[in-house]
Amino acid sequence: MPNDLASLFALTSSRLAGTLAALVVASCFGVTNACADDAKSAESSPRVSFNKEIRPIFAKHCVGCHGGVKEASGLSFIYRESALAEAESGLAAIIAGNATDSNLMARITDPDPESRMPPGDHGPALDPQQIDALKRWIDQGAEWEEHWSFVPPQSHPLPAVARTNWPRDPLDQFVLARIEAAGLAPAPDAARAEWLRRVSLDLIGLPPTAAEFAEFELDNRPDAYERVVARLLASPRYGERWASMWLDLARYADTVGFEKDPHRDIWPYRDWLIRTLNDDMPFDEFTVRQLAGDLLPNATLDDRLATAFHRNTQMNTEGGTDDEEYRLAAVLDRVSTTWQVWQASTFRCTQCHSHPYDPFRHEEYYKFVAFFNTSRDADLNGDEPLLKIPQEAGKWAEAEQLDEHVRELERQLFELQSPLTRDPARWQALPAVAASATGNATMTIQNVAENGEAISEVRAEGTITAGSTFTIDLDLAGLERLTAVRIDALPKDPAQALKIPEDGFVLSQLKGELLDAAGAVVGEVPFAAAFCDEPAPLFDPQESLREGLEGWGDYTRMSRRRFAVFVPARAVEVPSGARLRLSMNFGHGDTGGGALVIERGRFAASSSDDWIPFANDSRYAQLKLQLTELKKARAEIAAVAVPIMAEQPAEFARQTQVFARGNWLDRETAVTPGVPEVMPPLPGGAPVDRLAMARWLASPENPLTARVMVNRLWQELFGIGIVETAEDFGTSGELPSHPELLDHLALRFQGEHGWSVKRMLRDIVLSSAYRQAGVATSDKLALDPRNRLVARGPRTRLTAEMVRDQALTLSGKLSEKMYGKPVMPPQPDGVWRSAYNGESWITAEGEDRYRRAVYTYWKRTSGYPALATFDMPSRDVCVVRRIATNTPLQALATLNDAAYVELAQGFASRMAAAADNPAAQIAAGYRLATGQALHAAKLRRLLELYEAAAAAFDADPAAAQPLAADRATYALAIVANAMLNLDDLLTK
Amino acid sequence: MNLIQELQHAQLSHTTRRLFLQECAAGLGAAWLASAASNAAGASGVQAVRDAARPLAPIMPPLPAKAKRVIYLHMAGSPSQLDLFDYKPELQKLDGQDCPQEFIAGKRFAFIRGVPKLLGPQFPFQQHGESGAWLSDRLPHLASVADKLCFVRTMVTDQFNHGPAQLLVHTGNQNLGNASIGSWATYGLGSENQNLPGFVVLLSGGKFPDAGKSVWGSGYLPSVYQGVQCRSSGDPVLFLSNPAGIDRSLRGKMVEAIADVNRQTYNEAADPETLTRISQYELAYRMQMSATDAMDLNQEPAHIHQMYGTQPGQESLANNCLLARRLVERGVRYVQLYDWGWDSHGAGENEALHHGFKDKCRELDQPVTALLLDLEQRGLLDETLVVWSGEFGRTPMRENRGGQEMKLIGRDHHPHAFTVWLAGGGVRAGYAHGETDPIGYAPITDRVEVRDLQATMLRLLGIDHERLVFPFQGLDQKLTGVKPARVIDSIIA
Repeated sequence: MPNDLASLFALTSSRLAGTLAALVVASCFGVTNACADDAKSAESSPRVSFNKEIRPIFAKHCVGCHGGVKEASGLSFIYRESALAEAESGLAAIIAGNATDSNLMARITDPDPESRMPPGDHGPALDPQQIDALKRWIDQGAEWEEHWSFVPPQSHPLPAVARTNWPRDPLDQFVLARIEAAGLAPAPDAARAEWLRRVSLDLIGLPPTAAEFAEFELDNRPDAYERVVARLLASPRYGERWASMWLDLARYADTVGFEKDPHRDIWPYRDWLIRTLNDDMPFDEFTVRQLAGDLLPNATLDDRLATAFHRNTQMNTEGGTDDEEYRLAAVLDRVSTTWQVWQASTFRCTQCHSHPYDPFRHEEYYKFVAFFNTSRDADLNGDEPLLKIPQEAGKWAEAEQLDEHVRELERQLFELQSPLTRDPARWQALPAVAASATGNATMTIQNVAENGEAISEVRAEGTITAGSTFTIDLDLAGLERLTAVRIDALPKDPAQALKIPEDGFVLSQLKGELLDAAGAVVGEVPFAAAFCDEPAPLFDPQESLREGLEGWGDYTRMSRRRFAVFVPARAVEVPSGARLRLSMNFGHGDTGGGALVIERGRFAASSSDDWIPFANDSRYAQLKLQLTELKKARAEIAAVAVPIMAEQPAEFARQTQVFARGNWLDRETAVTPGVPEVMPPLPGGAPVDRLAMARWLASPENPLTARVMVNRLWQELFGIGIVETAEDFGTSGELPSHPELLDHLALRFQGEHGWSVKRMLRDIVLSSAYRQAGVATSDKLALDPRNRLVARGPRTRLTAEMVRDQALTLSGKLSEKMYGKPVMPPQPDGVWRSAYNGESWITAEGEDRYRRAVYTYWKRTSGYPALATFDMPSRDVCVVRRIATNTPLQALATLNDAAYVELAQGFASRMAAAADNPAAQIAAGYRLATGQALHAAKLRRLLELYEAAAAAFDADPAAAQPLAADRATYALAIVANAMLNLDDLLTK
Repeated sequence: MNLIQELQHAQLSHTTRRLFLQECAAGLGAAWLASAASNAAGASGVQAVRDAARPLAPIMPPLPAKAKRVIYLHMAGSPSQLDLFDYKPELQKLDGQDCPQEFIAGKRFAFIRGVPKLLGPQFPFQQHGESGAWLSDRLPHLASVADKLCFVRTMVTDQFNHGPAQLLVHTGNQNLGNASIGSWATYGLGSENQNLPGFVVLLSGGKFPDAGKSVWGSGYLPSVYQGVQCRSSGDPVLFLSNPAGIDRSLRGKMVEAIADVNRQTYNEAADPETLTRISQYELAYRMQMSATDAMDLNQEPAHIHQMYGTQPGQESLANNCLLARRLVERGVRYVQLYDWGWDSHGAGENEALHHGFKDKCRELDQPVTALLLDLEQRGLLDETLVVWSGEFGRTPMRENRGGQEMKLIGRDHHPHAFTVWLAGGGVRAGYAHGETDPIGYAPITDRVEVRDLQATMLRLLGIDHERLVFPFQGLDQKLTGVKPARVIDSIIA
């Protein structure tokens, strides 16, 4: 098997020339870079660069065993202190300043392959240059350097260039210097039409109109290009195009994922994104709103909606799934996505162990998890918490006011109740004297010693039947009147429940009766008011006093003791020897149909008069009434309920522990929120919460955020980022092709441009680098096949969305309608067939058939086929980089998909209207699409196709009818169908 | 971009042009190269290096291969091993008794709550063939070929919900975003027929498997390696047929015209991707013909239809078995069948052991047996690996959903033991691997993890699972994941 370069050469000798050419390029990215820098510094001090020479050796040859995952012999080359410390052998691998006595040198130069490092079965011995570099570096003091991407971007002087006329923007100078260093020259400027089509597709995702092509062609004003860019950036289409990019990062979809994959209404977030991008909200604010908009002081409806970003996580509604497992899966996905999107880091590697290459420790992962672990969502099938987004923009202000008012009233009510409910002096514990249950549960009464007292508890055990009703008789001895009952639900194992929560409960219905000493019912306890230990619970405890499944509860899992208080309509006089009988029905089940009951309950009663107002006409009742009316008014505003982020009340917030080896069922020490030590600290003086974390990400002190975003913009415009691994700026990622350029752009983005994406894009698309013609020459192809040097203009395939949107534009059918529910353009039958899911694809009529691709309904387990074929990801998880493929299935889609055939017909009718003979019509079509004249040879070939199609029509007009009624229309439709498949059109 | 990747790409771009000029013989378009990122993990992996214009060109496997192709029959929902293959007379004796605490304490089941009752085998078992394999009376046809089968009775998984468990079986990971084994196989080996997809997926039972299309997704591998769903009704492959009003002859002329115009574009811009596009359009055109042909069951003679119990035009497991044979016959590398409806909880008739399950067994028995015999009579069985599995097992306890006795009889999801069988392609026929405890709860010998089965399948295809890698997010990703996996040598002939 050819697994080394030599045998590859043997196998592919005919390709040797190309391979050697590639070696030259490879060296100009890696090795010569370092050499050039060294040559410069050689005169002063020939220092070995840790980042350029030493870290790559460690990363490639050592950290597999001596790194974050395995610290063989207690030695890690991730941190200097570990590498310089005494290993388990008793020897230090590295003694700074003394290579001779450093054990590392002895081991890597050991002639015996058994004891040599790296060991023979792990790879070849280090070569003499590597050994020499290590030796010199140790002798020079073994200084560590941070990995490049953890060092804040530096301002770099513009490099000298020979072609001083070429740069239009400082960024060009960085690009040109590299082109010239490689002995190449930049490509000439692209023809106006070529640039216009490229920049239109890049900035708004649509090709220019005929009028735009014509106008720009004739615009002799010196700022003609700038005017085009200004027009495009101001177009509402801009937000739609860039939203498509961000939606991959947000893993946005219109369904929740997994087995049943049901619908999710989260499209108002997509609309938020389009609006916000069009408004050019600065990227730092954009970041903070999406990660922590709910925690902003005076958070608006819009701020809360932005947090739906992290509610695009999948939700598992499969029967019998563990809600806690999938809640945690969503939380970990939020951590992973946050680090992918803003830090281009494979931080998620640290879920199971310390990072294999980067200086992130296992515990630091869970400190970061703690920022996200206290949100209220819990993989509930209803996707709660939800925010009702008004459908009419005009209703937003009203809805916002109502929400604010509701929150305020809830707070006031809670403040009235809380001092009473929590005052131990008002409560008398009630010993249980009898307990029974419908179904199969076994009920027991136990006396538990707590603080020197025996406390009576009722427990449900064994096979607990869903829908059970518990009947519990409580001794009221010593109580003359009853004004309130308090029920406490406790975890069976409180310490363990803080780690892995227990099954929760929902008290669907509560009834109270009074029994006499003989056990006969003598009266009702007419509960009228109910409230619990938090101001805005998921289900209103009042529901426990009405019919239905909902009521007071901790749903579907509980990790801490909870309580609720139930107040009768009037004080109930208690005859001597009487008992209280509580009937508690638990109707709600978990996803597996399992019972959600109070498995461990305590009961208490109060005789205080203070409760009486709560069930009667009073300030309390007024407030409650007011609250009901406000909620009713809010409900009357037509709205879409969107999942959003919200925090748990601090008192009940989850604790976060380290998961041993990443296993969520195996917990180690508890942690508090925090950021990794290698990064700058959190801003001081603020609570350490999600908001602080968001601000920390969106700050100029963060060395990665701006770099990662400008790299993303570069990738969108040039096809490959300055760091090709846009998802990994760490040790295992690729190095930047133009490190100084990356820093330059990052500083400009976060400084001069104040995080404005539009201003950053403007600079890049107006640069000479971007304006080049996309023509390759043989020397460029040989030396730089993938155009990493940007010595020619970018030539890349249209994205999935652009392929559709371009066809829509050319057909003349594109709808400019913005926003709203996702649409269902034609899709072949039988594509949607999820298990246990009755939802169906109902093909849109009218203009919704022709909406931009960004509005197409996206089902995770079954994406719209024509888009999926062109590499649109499933959106299960965050995707930082779409890898463009080129497959026969793409050809089949754009040739045969009924949706594309319909658009080809539209395109043909526009061609027909533009001229009166076939040649002119075809040329007009090409001009419509590209703004350019059709090359004579191409025209000839397409005319031949026209004639062949016409002949086919003549041969069998009846068979041709489904496509067109007459010969000319038919022939032109065939040509239009072919033209939509030309490389010229599928590429920008 | 590191040196090796640069080099590969240069090679690819170079090859693209060369191929266009002189259509070379299949097999030279790809090679194996040491993976660049592999050293961090210790042993070095290999990456398939491919010609971008022919991403499915066949490559010789790095190790001697016993199997050239795979047909994987996945019974989505997971059939009861205790009522088909893992005979437990002891469990029969304990039928109706409370399940001992040791089996339920601290365990979480999908639907079982509290203390369930043990449930004995629901159908009589008998030994079959020279190997004496125990099979229940639900599969009489399959019993007749028992000596061709190799049972693994001690499979275990750590997932007890369908979606994640199916993902684990097919992508080596319970989370989404990883590459399925069919994608790995075509990435590593290409396919022998360039006019058909290399990895075909066939569905029956009326639904997608629970994990949706992700179980045949390519994850981080290039999307060209994802499974292509072929269908019994409508277009056999999405968008395969020409639109109404365009016939094949005119379509051919269109593809030629597109190619000629694109060649002119190539002359102008010299973008190698343009050449790839030309070849992909030509391939699409050939695929229209060859996929239509491969999927046309009407070409089969009556005795074959009788043998499988097929009815052309229907979507059925029987039709898919016959299609699988037609596809591997044409050189398709990996054919994946999913048959939905095996989730025998007992919550409704369709999913009760004495109702729906019996029907499913009937639908399975004849065609799967026919597939094995048909492959054999065509001399294909030797080099075609056939694998049959669910995603987990079923409990030795009767399900008590909602904590109460149910009207119908069924079993809950059981990750701790299940049975798969393999046939053909270099496996040890007439052999049963491993033994479970007397009630069939867990293995007592030869525990086999899902990743072990995957490693063994790759080994049969001539690939070392440790060395078939793809660098992604700083790791050399591989099908079998980061935990140690081992090839089960004793099931290899």
